Amino acid sequence: MTEKAEMVEEMIRQLGDDAVLHRKEDLLTYECDGLTVYRGMPLAVVFPSSTEEVSGVVKWLHEHEIPFIPRGAGTGLSGGATPFGGEVIISLVRMKRLLDVDYDNREAVVQPGYINLTLTNSITHKGFYYAPDPSSQACCTIGGNVAENAGGAHCLKYGVTTNHVLGLEVVLHNGEIVEIGGVPDAPGYDLMGLVTGSEGTLGIVTSITVRILKNPEAEETAMAYFDSVEDASYAVSGIIAAGIVPAAIEMMDEIAIQGVERATNPVGHPEGSKAVLIMEVDGIATGIEEQIEEMVSVCERHNVVDIKVAKNDRERGRWWANRKTAFGAMGAISPAYLVQDGVIPRSRLSEVLAHIADISAESGLRIANVFHAGDGNLHPLILFDARNEGETDLALDVGSRTLEACTAVGGSITGEHGVGIEKKEDMRLVFSDEEIERQITVRSVFNPHNLLNLDKQFPKPARCGEVKQAVGSGEAHQVAEQR
Amino acid sequence: MTTEPSLANLVVKKNEPPVGNYLWEDPPDEDKFSACVHCGLCLEACPTYQELGHEHQSPRGRIHSIVAVAEGKIDINEAFEDPMFTCLDCRACETACPAGVQVGALIEEARGQVRQARPLKGWQGLVSRFFLRGVFPHTKRLHTLGMLTKIYQKSGAQTVVRKSGAKKVLPDHLGAMEAIMPDVGRPVLKTHPERIPAEGEQKGSVSMFTGCIMDVMYSDVNEATVRVLTKNGHSVEMPKQQQCCGALHVHAGDREMGKKLARENIDTFLEADADHVVVNAAGCGCALREYPELLQNDDEYREKAERFAEKVLDVSKYLYDYGYRAPEAELRKRVTYHDACHLAHGQGVWDEPRDLLEDIPGVEMVPLPNADRCCGSAGIYNITHPDMAGRLLDRKIEEVPDDVEMISMGNPGCMLQMAMGVMNHGRDEAIVHTMQLLDWAYQLEGGETDD
Ligand SMILES: Cc1cc2nc3c(=O)[nH]c(=O)nc-3n(C[C@H](O)[C@H](O)[C@H](O)COP(=O)(O)OP(=O)(O)OC[C@H]3O[C@@H](n4cnc5c(N)ncnc54)[C@H](O)[C@@H]3O)c2cc1C
Ligand code: SF4
Ligand code: SF4
Repeated sequence: MTEKAEMVEEMIRQLGDDAVLHRKEDLLTYECDGLTVYRGMPLAVVFPSSTEEVSGVVKWLHEHEIPFIPRGAGTGLSGGATPFGGEVIISLVRMKRLLDVDYDNREAVVQPGYINLTLTNSITHKGFYYAPDPSSQACCTIGGNVAENAGGAHCLKYGVTTNHVLGLEVVLHNGEIVEIGGVPDAPGYDLMGLVTGSEGTLGIVTSITVRILKNPEAEETAMAYFDSVEDASYAVSGIIAAGIVPAAIEMMDEIAIQGVERATNPVGHPEGSKAVLIMEVDGIATGIEEQIEEMVSVCERHNVVDIKVAKNDRERGRWWANRKTAFGAMGAISPAYLVQDGVIPRSRLSEVLAHIADISAESGLRIANVFHAGDGNLHPLILFDARNEGETDLALDVGSRTLEACTAVGGSITGEHGVGIEKKEDMRLVFSDEEIERQITVRSVFNPHNLLNLDKQFPKPARCGEVKQAVGSGEAHQVAEQR
Repeated sequence: MTTEPSLANLVVKKNEPPVGNYLWEDPPDEDKFSACVHCGLCLEACPTYQELGHEHQSPRGRIHSIVAVAEGKIDINEAFEDPMFTCLDCRACETACPAGVQVGALIEEARGQVRQARPLKGWQGLVSRFFLRGVFPHTKRLHTLGMLTKIYQKSGAQTVVRKSGAKKVLPDHLGAMEAIMPDVGRPVLKTHPERIPAEGEQKGSVSMFTGCIMDVMYSDVNEATVRVLTKNGHSVEMPKQQQCCGALHVHAGDREMGKKLARENIDTFLEADADHVVVNAAGCGCALREYPELLQNDDEYREKAERFAEKVLDVSKYLYDYGYRAPEAELRKRVTYHDACHLAHGQGVWDEPRDLLEDIPGVEMVPLPNADRCCGSAGIYNITHPDMAGRLLDRKIEEVPDDVEMISMGNPGCMLQMAMGVMNHGRDEAIVHTMQLLDWAYQLEGGETDD
């Protein structure tokens, strides 16, 4: 029997017939995630339904030295769940139950395949919600959110995923099941902080305890149009400088506006607007009015062309749908896009945007900009057509150059989408070889044979190809339990 | 295991121009599939993905497969056929997709290719040819089939079958369908004159598309629709030459017959020349509105198809937009509303039927969670894919609030399916069409009590 046939037979034995995909036709769609420029074929995709099943599968793959990749909804934008070729994908989407909600202690326990927005929808009748709100929240899994440390429009005020995760159950590289976190401020290392954002390279998350929040008493949303992105960026800085803590400030530029207006959720942005800001404040009812008025007056000082406040929840909902579907909306104006995820000091916003505009002009590729303006997290969307010879490479190059523009002003290469495959090499923009090596040493504590999401996140250090795998698996387990 | 993955090897340099493995007319349209950016925002909207968790059974995965065939990476074989036909054609993905990808049209085009490459054989082929080619395209034969059903019901044979357990020889799901078959009346296309005048002051005039399943199985709904329209001042014309809309054919991959029926209907209704063509069966309405899509490569009919499609409106939307009066009598009922996929996702009609129902005095509307998730009926899907259809039906019925008396909707396929669900779950909610509720309310005004 071939290696693959033996593996498939074993997986079917462990999980059942309908929980293993292995025909080429069935696997094709797993050759990439939301980033389509890199593709590799998995050996198989398996669908465990419980922690024990995950553990069983991992144990066997570990023993047979077959690399494997955890995958949620595959909405990742950096190729985190994309195979290099020959890995087994462990899909967590069948583990999609809400295990427990404790309203008194404001906690919920979910399986990793549970959908982000479904959590909010299931607790809203009690007046609660789950704060991290990536734009993909209607489809992405909370397991994937933990692995990417996902953020969202409202993370400006409420923090990103790591600020909302209280405890994790993790299946280690050899199939062992451990629990980490659970108690606030536990002694020892902050392993939860380490695992959150580790892009599936340290273990497979099989259960997550998250914090849930009480719905704010009041919220107000305003939308403001500007004649230049500079004015809009100064308005953003002005609002933060005025001491307001908005729940969200989002910006879209002219091309992005064209895209969303041509797509499924248009809201009638005026033609020719160069920038739009969507601003939200929330909290206790008193003071909300004043805050929104103050925001309006800051915008007025920065030459706002038009500004309006959402009349009701329905309008607010439509505005957010318009903003949150902006990436996908690029499909309406371009056959493909590549989204970047740079972070910059907020004060340098207009400077970096001008730089990006230059890169666009030089390369001839249109770049739409959508971003979490409040925390300086830029998403340049590079529009291209893969059918044109060489254009994919050009887009990738343009992507890297936009990241350089960010790091040049002291920023970083990822705010929330992770490194995955895409930004491996760009890690060199922010870390020295030695620093990369040190991080790989940490990885090998949990992932000594590099089987777990093989070779993601870090480039091979140029100086020494091998990283000493000094730490054995037994010790990894000890570390995990220590906390 | 030592792999030396190289980034450069993974970069997709250039997608091959789509020639690939589509060999017949009307292949999936490149403009349509290149709009998909693989974002995945459609995943959770898809009932088959929700059930199976397999991405090749999701909208994104299906499009990926369609592109792979176009690029010659895979063939049209059983493995390609399965996801194409396991799709319900429910269009929930189109509502969710931010890029406006026409997933339904792509899948229908792919099915056309599959059926050419792999014609149905054996009994499946026989049954499908009998119905798709032998019965539905011929209004008379369809009515005869309706008559036979009626004779079967009236003659006592039905009672015999039901009592004798003869239906145990039918496959489970067909047995269950037999049990819920409504009492077949006589099709309005036969019983009604070509033109029915408006009552009172004339506000508009419409042509009515009667639908074949609707007219054979639920002629009472068609009768109610005519009464509601005329009561509201709209005269109703029923062109007698009208044909089956062809939706079932297009869904099954028989585009040839679908197009033939489309051309005939276009001619018939353009000749009748009414401002609007109203439909009370969502599946038919959606298909009629998509004739331009179906005939996009037909130079003679493309423009006519567009002119025709612009006239087509679901009856609830027509009434809402062109004038109707709320009933005055009270109809004390707790009602919930189920969105037929081809009304909500297919035609964008969500609020109008709900508003019409809410306007009936005494009606208390109770929201149905996930009202717009497919009930599993999906044309003849419940016959071809009983397992998936059954799973979706169970979920649908489990979500119906405990204390409602009626479930209202706007499509005959859903009505049959939901009736079966209610029966299987031992429940007793009445399955009604939105027009029936309105009709009863108007009748009550005259002092009649008809509920
Ligand atoms: C239109 C669109 C908008 C987006 N908007 C945002 C946004 O606003 N903010 C944001 O942060 N991101 C955003 N994203 C990116 C993406 O949705 C997030 O990264 C999300 O967290 C990925 O979740 P997923 O379930 O799709 O994970 P996947 O893509 O399947 O996986 C992502 C990574 O997590 C790993 N992984 C998945 N599940 C597990 C698990 N159980 N245990 C361990 N590792 C696991 C995978 O190996 C992979 O490395 C967007 C994506 C799209 C397509
Ligand atoms: S039409 Fe329905 S079943 Fe088919 S892919 Fe779209 S959502 Fe899924
Ligand atoms: S069909 Fe639409 S929603 Fe689905 S992956 Fe493609 S672009 Fe995204």
